Amino acid sequence: MQELIEYSAREKRRAFLQGSTLGLGSLALGTLCGAEQNRGPVGNPLQGLPHAAARAKRVIYLFQSGGPSQMDLFDYKPSLADRFGEEVPKSIYPDERKTTMTSGQNSFPVAPSTLKFRRHGKSGIWLGQTLPHLAQVVDDICVIKSMHTEAINHDPAATLFQTGSVIPGRPSMGSWVSYGLGSQNENLPAFVALTSNGTGKGGQPLYDRLWGAGFLPGRFQGVKFRGQGDPILDLYNPSGMTREQRRRMLDSLGELNNRQANRFQDPEIETRIAQYELAFRMQMSVPELIDFKSESKNTLDMYGSQVNTVGRYAYNCLLARRLAERGVRFIQLYHRGWDAHGNAPKQITAQCRDTDQPTAALIQDLKQRGLLEDTLIVWGGEFGRTIYCQGKLTKLSYGRDHHPNCFSYWLAGAGVRGGMSYGKTDDYSVNVVENPVHVHDLQATVLDQLGIHHEKLTFRHQGRDYRLTDVHGQVVRDILS
Amino acid sequence: MNSESCLDIRLMVIFTAGMVLSSEVGNFGGLLADDLQFAKNVRPILSDACYSCHGPDEKSREGDLRLDDRGAVMKADVLTSGTLLARLTSDDPDVRMPPVDSNRRLPDKDRKQLIRWLNEGGQWPEDDQHWAFVAPQRPALPEVQNESWVRGGIDAFVLSRLERENWQPAIRADKATLLRRVTFDLTGLPPTIAELDSFIGDSSPQAYEKAVDRLLDSSRYGEHMALLWMEASRYADTDGYQNDRLRYMWVWRDWLIKALNDNQPFDQFAIEQMAGDLLPDRTFLTQVATGFNRNHRINSEGGSIPDEWIVEYVADRVETMGTVFLGLTLNCARCHDHKYDPISQKNFYRFFAFFNNIAEAGLGPNNGNSPPFIKVPKSWPNLSDEESRFVVPDPPVVKLQQTSVPRPQSGSNETVMVLHELEQPRKTYVLKRGQYDQPDQSERLRPATPTVLGTWREDWPVNRLGLAKWLTDPSHPLTARVTVNRMWQHFFGIGLVKTSENFGVQGELPSHPELLDWLATEFIGNDWDVKSMHRLIVTSATYRQDSSLSEKGKKLDPENRLLARGPRRRLSPYSIRDAALFSAGLLVEKVGGPSVKPYMPPGIWKSVSNAKYQQSKGDSLYRRSLYTYWRRTLPPPTMMAFNAAARETCVVRKDRTTTPLQALTMMNNRTFVEAARFLAERMMAKGKLNSSEKIAWAFRQVTSRFPTSQELEILTKDVMVYRRDFAGQDEVARKLLSIGEKQYNKKLNVGELAALTLIANTILNLDEAITKN
Repeated sequence: MQELIEYSAREKRRAFLQGSTLGLGSLALGTLCGAEQNRGPVGNPLQGLPHAAARAKRVIYLFQSGGPSQMDLFDYKPSLADRFGEEVPKSIYPDERKTTMTSGQNSFPVAPSTLKFRRHGKSGIWLGQTLPHLAQVVDDICVIKSMHTEAINHDPAATLFQTGSVIPGRPSMGSWVSYGLGSQNENLPAFVALTSNGTGKGGQPLYDRLWGAGFLPGRFQGVKFRGQGDPILDLYNPSGMTREQRRRMLDSLGELNNRQANRFQDPEIETRIAQYELAFRMQMSVPELIDFKSESKNTLDMYGSQVNTVGRYAYNCLLARRLAERGVRFIQLYHRGWDAHGNAPKQITAQCRDTDQPTAALIQDLKQRGLLEDTLIVWGGEFGRTIYCQGKLTKLSYGRDHHPNCFSYWLAGAGVRGGMSYGKTDDYSVNVVENPVHVHDLQATVLDQLGIHHEKLTFRHQGRDYRLTDVHGQVVRDILS
Repeated sequence: MNSESCLDIRLMVIFTAGMVLSSEVGNFGGLLADDLQFAKNVRPILSDACYSCHGPDEKSREGDLRLDDRGAVMKADVLTSGTLLARLTSDDPDVRMPPVDSNRRLPDKDRKQLIRWLNEGGQWPEDDQHWAFVAPQRPALPEVQNESWVRGGIDAFVLSRLERENWQPAIRADKATLLRRVTFDLTGLPPTIAELDSFIGDSSPQAYEKAVDRLLDSSRYGEHMALLWMEASRYADTDGYQNDRLRYMWVWRDWLIKALNDNQPFDQFAIEQMAGDLLPDRTFLTQVATGFNRNHRINSEGGSIPDEWIVEYVADRVETMGTVFLGLTLNCARCHDHKYDPISQKNFYRFFAFFNNIAEAGLGPNNGNSPPFIKVPKSWPNLSDEESRFVVPDPPVVKLQQTSVPRPQSGSNETVMVLHELEQPRKTYVLKRGQYDQPDQSERLRPATPTVLGTWREDWPVNRLGLAKWLTDPSHPLTARVTVNRMWQHFFGIGLVKTSENFGVQGELPSHPELLDWLATEFIGNDWDVKSMHRLIVTSATYRQDSSLSEKGKKLDPENRLLARGPRRRLSPYSIRDAALFSAGLLVEKVGGPSVKPYMPPGIWKSVSNAKYQQSKGDSLYRRSLYTYWRRTLPPPTMMAFNAAARETCVVRKDRTTTPLQALTMMNNRTFVEAARFLAERMMAKGKLNSSEKIAWAFRQVTSRFPTSQELEILTKDVMVYRRDFAGQDEVARKLLSIGEKQYNKKLNVGELAALTLIANTILNLDEAITKN
């Protein structure tokens, strides 16, 4: 109960500082500190946050939905070439945790990657041939080969990565961060979600809960930028209505609502007036945000030919950089299409064609602007793929089912060691044999980089203090400089 | 001024503001009396700071010490021996509790309180039990000074508390405000101008009661109340995982609306939903009612393991029953003993055993209903006697699809999902860490309820029917309290127990414990008559108060826990849309039927999934929001912007935060722009009135009151400007008027209509338009 009270007091402080409870206080603050003092849509950090010095001021999470294949991209297993078609030993891969898509197969033959690997950079990290651009910046990234999860189906697995639990209803990582740290921009949300589809085959569906606020107050949810219609839902005035008319309408509305505020003395009304003004400012700031005209040709070229196509990964990567520049705390991209159950080499190649160049460009671009120092980039999907073939195995092609026991992620920026490879898997890329990193460990690490102690950022719900990492999570210090 | 000193000032302000506010808010946890009371002032602190390691959960218990059980505490002799005191006062980090690294927090204020309690002798009453687990006893009405204010039992309790605090109730709300409040609360829509006029003109003493009865009799009542139950029962039109396949449950929703409109007694309402398939006099209708326990999500993602998901469905039923009827977080005992409440993991799986016998499949079909389901006659809802009989559903027939995905047969849009028992029940065991593949087979568990939550009568069958009878037994400590508390929450915004989903040890204590018990016993004594409870609440003097905040209220009781004023609250997301359509004359009122697909943003489904949204046409665009198609993984954004429950799991309490997205929705969303246009057309249709009078009419239509002359002046000035803007700009005006599917009246002057549309847009965006005052 005490914490509820504390929370409610904290909420009031928030409201207070936003100038919605006590006009005088905010007036004084505004005068003393200048009007731009961190009074964004979700307000200020919680008291006591950040817990420690933050290496990262913001996060860009490039979520690769569907489950990229670790042994075709990062987890090089040259010795498997000789085992083409051999059965994966049951001792290494027992039947129980195979999905029912393949558990009925009579045979589980080894499907070695047909893609070529090479060492890159000073660090000599192995990368598959479909990642030529990432190869250029490989010394800036830390590849984790020892990620693991429990979930073997897309929905629970993606939900676990984004919310810390396979069971829906928990807040997403970005909403935890905006709840804890507040906003750095007056005119934009603290947490933005962007989605894109590959040019290849369609992908796994996404769900609002992945960027939802769960049981946190609704204003902490991610605001989804849309690929069709208004970039933010209902952002633009109806056609036929001018901005001057909207200004007039809002002036009158503000005056009328103020009368109600005087009559009822309910601070809620003042909050509403403030939110209308914020909406009006967003109407200005978002078009400027998504207007790439000010970008140099060099920059645009760096992100590749799809950079100007709304709803493509390249577009979202550049948009992510622009959001980062404007102080958005958590920028969550979702790129669909990695679910290569059949014809994997072809599908992976197509996915990389869409994503490799823009991803590398984002790293370079942030770096040249000095932003990589305090921006954490996370790349990865909800699980990995099986070394055994799903469906028919040929010399040229194979399919791969979902694989939770090991897969690859990479991190970059904000003090993450570049040019590092962390963790090891067995010869079949079936199990982790060194330095396992669980989903909760990754989450703890991301929060830690932001100066948040993952065990201390909690919210009371149904009588219990919940946190992103549930009751688990260890910060992976080895990968931090 | 440099930024550092600026920060200092900010921190200073934070600090002072925090000090003032937390002490104020603290008053409403029941800390008013000078004497420390164990249940009120001590246990909540112990629970919060200590029970995680010294509570009911044996496995996580440290030092073999539990502080939740009086007997054990006495035996350990830690209260008077000084042991506990030392743990609280020591500076030695190895001694001091809670341990620094435990993440348990014990604020200084609470620590002092515990120390005081121990110093005063550490009284722990012998008969101590958590209040909510003791059946409510009918309290006598308290005496009050200002008797003339009291209209009934509710008011006596509220006033007595206010008088104790030296507070006065607020004046009565004016008639228009009151009629608007009660009309929204009972029907989800505003009153019409004719209803307002007739009520204001009715000076008979029973005028208000007459209005209340009219509203309770309206079929809109059942539609409005259905929404609360739909959110609690996680009703939706899709399965909720991955591809989010569609299902057909609207027949259950029809049943629900009718049950509410017919004022089915709550015990019967509960029994039919929990066990309508097991009743001796079961019918087709009682069978449909059991859909309540099929509204949970079902996974149809290829590759899923069926046994794993059956466990999820059964656990979801237990969790939902726990929240809705018991107000307990039973799911906390799924993986281990409950950390705070006396619910063991075994208790959880004994509840589980009641629901573990359904003839269902682990994976859903690829679209359509998942067995068991029954065919709905074409004549629904007008069934013949023959059609009203109980139907035995076909058992699930699971076939392997693709390579090896085991899917059952799929029910068409002429079916509805129900409960049906297996001939041989599944075996239930404790699942270690809640995992489906880790049963503790040393003990098979039979269905049973924990004795701490009320006795089980020998003549009840040991199945869901017995469970339902147990839940609705008049001596049950929780069901009636939890239910009337949700009613209170509906009308006042906050329940008497604020944590309406949690009456356990970690829940908040009731602000008015006796009132809660009085209402609970009233409810039971009145044969669980829901409408009469609603009538009782809305006709109280407490409900009829004006809702403005006094300086004192604003400072000391911002949440209105003392009830020294009437409720003031933003409308629900459903009501916001419905009220706009209603004011515009666009709302199409037809009770029941399949879900409809009103306007959605372009590409709403396609952009992130493999499904495409096929928008409805014509009347279906303007039905009440409870009929809006609910896709669980992508719920309607306009509803979600206003904090609707996502329908993934049971939700009985929602926050109502204010965001800029709400402003954008109200200003620019197609539904609301079209509604503004039609409100403007209605203004223009008042040909005899001048501009100001037209605006005043629309203002009243939306807010239920006349604008003041200053308010009217603001809007009248605006319309003159907008008229000038649109003069000679017919093309521009037409653009505005073409938003929405329904054509504008071509006979009207487009410039004028456009100007008035912007005025209507202003009015619909008023804080008052989406608020009951």
